[in-house]
Amino acid sequence: MAAVPSTVALESNAAPLSRPRAHLVDASHSTLDSLAVGARGRVRAVGGEPGLRRRLLEMGMCRGVTVEVVRRAPFGDPIELRVRGYALSLRAEQAALVVVSVEG
Amino acid sequence: MRAAPGRKHDGEEEPARARLVAALVGNPNAGKTTIFNALTGMRQKVGNYPGVTVDKRVGQVRTEGGAAIDLIDLPGTYSLVTLSLDEQVVSDVLHGALAKERRPEALIAVVDASNLARNLFLVSQLLDLRLPMVVALNMVDVAEAHGRPVDASALESALGCPVVAVVGHRRERVRGLGERLVGAPVPPAIVHPVAEPMASEERRLARAIADVDGLDEVQSRIVARRLLTAEPGRDLARLRDGHRAEIEAARARLESTGLDPAQEDIEARYRWIDEVVARAVREPEAHAPGRRTTTERIDAILMHRVLGLLVFVGIMTGLFACVFWVAKPMQDGVKDGAAWLGAQLAARMSDGPIKALVVDGVFAGVGAVLVFVPQIALLFLCLAALEDSGYLARAAFLMDKLLSRVGLHGKSFIPLLSSFACAIPGILAARTIDGRRDRLATILVAPFMSCSARLPVYALLVPACLPGSSALTQALVLFGLYALGILAAVVTSLVLKGRLARGDRSAFILELPSYKRPQALQVLFQVWTNTRAFVTRAGTTIFALSVVLWALLYYPRLPSEEAARFHDDRARSAAQIEHSVAGRLGHALEPAVRPLGYDWKMGVGLVSAFAAREVFVSTLGITYSVGAASDDTRDLAKAMRQERRPDGTHVWTPLVAVSLMIWFVLAMQCMSTMAVVRRETGGWRWPLAQLLFMNGSAYVVCLAIYQIGRRWLGG
Repeated sequence: MAAVPSTVALESNAAPLSRPRAHLVDASHSTLDSLAVGARGRVRAVGGEPGLRRRLLEMGMCRGVTVEVVRRAPFGDPIELRVRGYALSLRAEQAALVVVSVEG
Repeated sequence: MRAAPGRKHDGEEEPARARLVAALVGNPNAGKTTIFNALTGMRQKVGNYPGVTVDKRVGQVRTEGGAAIDLIDLPGTYSLVTLSLDEQVVSDVLHGALAKERRPEALIAVVDASNLARNLFLVSQLLDLRLPMVVALNMVDVAEAHGRPVDASALESALGCPVVAVVGHRRERVRGLGERLVGAPVPPAIVHPVAEPMASEERRLARAIADVDGLDEVQSRIVARRLLTAEPGRDLARLRDGHRAEIEAARARLESTGLDPAQEDIEARYRWIDEVVARAVREPEAHAPGRRTTTERIDAILMHRVLGLLVFVGIMTGLFACVFWVAKPMQDGVKDGAAWLGAQLAARMSDGPIKALVVDGVFAGVGAVLVFVPQIALLFLCLAALEDSGYLARAAFLMDKLLSRVGLHGKSFIPLLSSFACAIPGILAARTIDGRRDRLATILVAPFMSCSARLPVYALLVPACLPGSSALTQALVLFGLYALGILAAVVTSLVLKGRLARGDRSAFILELPSYKRPQALQVLFQVWTNTRAFVTRAGTTIFALSVVLWALLYYPRLPSEEAARFHDDRARSAAQIEHSVAGRLGHALEPAVRPLGYDWKMGVGLVSAFAAREVFVSTLGITYSVGAASDDTRDLAKAMRQERRPDGTHVWTPLVAVSLMIWFVLAMQCMSTMAVVRRETGGWRWPLAQLLFMNGSAYVVCLAIYQIGRRWLGG
């Protein structure tokens, strides 16, 4: 599991990224893989190589949408999310591409 | 092949085109197949798209008004911008980009009302196609139960195309879809607004296209959007040759601003979707907070850290038990039936090559195929029911961590589990894995799972390697053989992990659909189509090989003066085998298999096992002159124990049996599996690599075990 990045970059990146750059902005931002079960976040940016990022967006993971972490699989990975009213599961590796602002 | 978007596909216009060609499109899990079956009944054909292993299903619909519709059931897809092979086919068919495939003239879009927003994303792309369309609003009952009922007429006015609310599995109003499709209008196209500078780049490109192609403003904007947002590698090249310089310049300018056109487009579509949903869903989400849906309640158990795993193990054990124990009496029945029929025929025919061909070639071949059918059908039954219920996605979710550690995917679990019955359905089931790399790795390791055709061989050899041992010891050895196969699969996939093409790095993005009660008719229909496909695909190979094998064992005939020397039929047929091509092959193989501890008779057996592994047992039965027909292998085991080398030592030492068992665990000896791997991977490269790797490692391991064991045990 990736360590919780305290701050995360929000600038858009044209170059393919393996994960969003972990520096800058403010402490309320995090990546989706580091949210606790039951926590909600609002999507701020989606990284990853173009095909993967496209698929995440197509599945409804757009900027501004609220995502809830429903559970983790028995071995800690993947993660089940609730987004736009349906259940989507991602490996932590892919969830780490999604930058969220944590909601109360 | 390469078609521009919007190209008319009317090249081969027929004088009287009475039939309407329509496509059924929708997200995975939207209930598309149920609607397809309800609309077409049993009037459907399964074929293949040229060059790809995606099934093509076409069914006939006749409306009450008398119109005839050819309905194509396209694979479930989340988007028309392609990621997987299935989605590529959908996109190609809808854009009229497949040679020899007529472009559909109308669409039925299946939309899951309980998951409206995500389903409407595909609809937004379908609207871009400018084809007459009807929306089948499915699972309206589920949406209602979730407290978010969808107003079909509000959706109809928001989308500008007919919306028919249906409950697919109850066939309610499904027939109405056909009526609405005939004469349905082309719904208004929408240019989803995007921010600057993308909007002005799009307008500029649209003008260039409109001038050349004579498209109206909206059409040219849609085309321009597609060109700006297409995947550079996969999609863009297929789109068009003209305007290449303008397209590339516009994309480069946008890229330099740090803006991702694809993201802008997708988010613009979802903004439109949010508006449509707000108009069509009567009760907003806030109405029922905290109320858990049935699916959530079930998942609290089935996806629980501890309980979930226990249930998982229980379900998979049940599936296993079903495939082995429930199928056993049916398999015995098939075997006995085939043997009885063969005997009846034999009694009515005079001796000679024709009779031998019919009885030992054709009937044995048909029997060898049919004996697998009950087991395969039961496997398909369990899988279809699990898939229909929505559990398979959960199984992938639960197992992904373990499997991804060894370089596989959560969705590899079911193919590998199926391979314990037979590698062929397992390899076919690997089609559900989107990532090419993961799919290939799964196909390559699947044959290591001990399939049911190995079981008769193990059953013969385990007692042979441990004479006089208890049933418990034998069961443990049997378990060890299965475990060895799994270990070999793990080691192989770890070896493959870093070596297969890295470009297709896998991701795990999986929808967990709502649970549904499996529909008996639908499940049985799937069992029927899959089993039929197994019989035609694997069956023809097994059958053909059985006939070839018969010829190898039958010819050349023993000269009659020599045959006359034998008074015992069994001794004569044993001598005949030694004289035959197969016997000579066995002798020729002997120097190669001698270091593993095998003699020429086992060599013949190994050759024959290429038809199907369990044929090894019956071939040994013939070479040991105890007869092949008997299901009881005790005579054979006794004959094996008595067999001695010219120097008087036993041929079948426990070490030889161990070496042979391990050969059966590790080696690729199944022609039908190789044929299926060739089909699924599109060439001989992978099946041949598999053959070399599996048989090479089997040879090395068996050699090491036999040689070291012999020195160590002094035998």
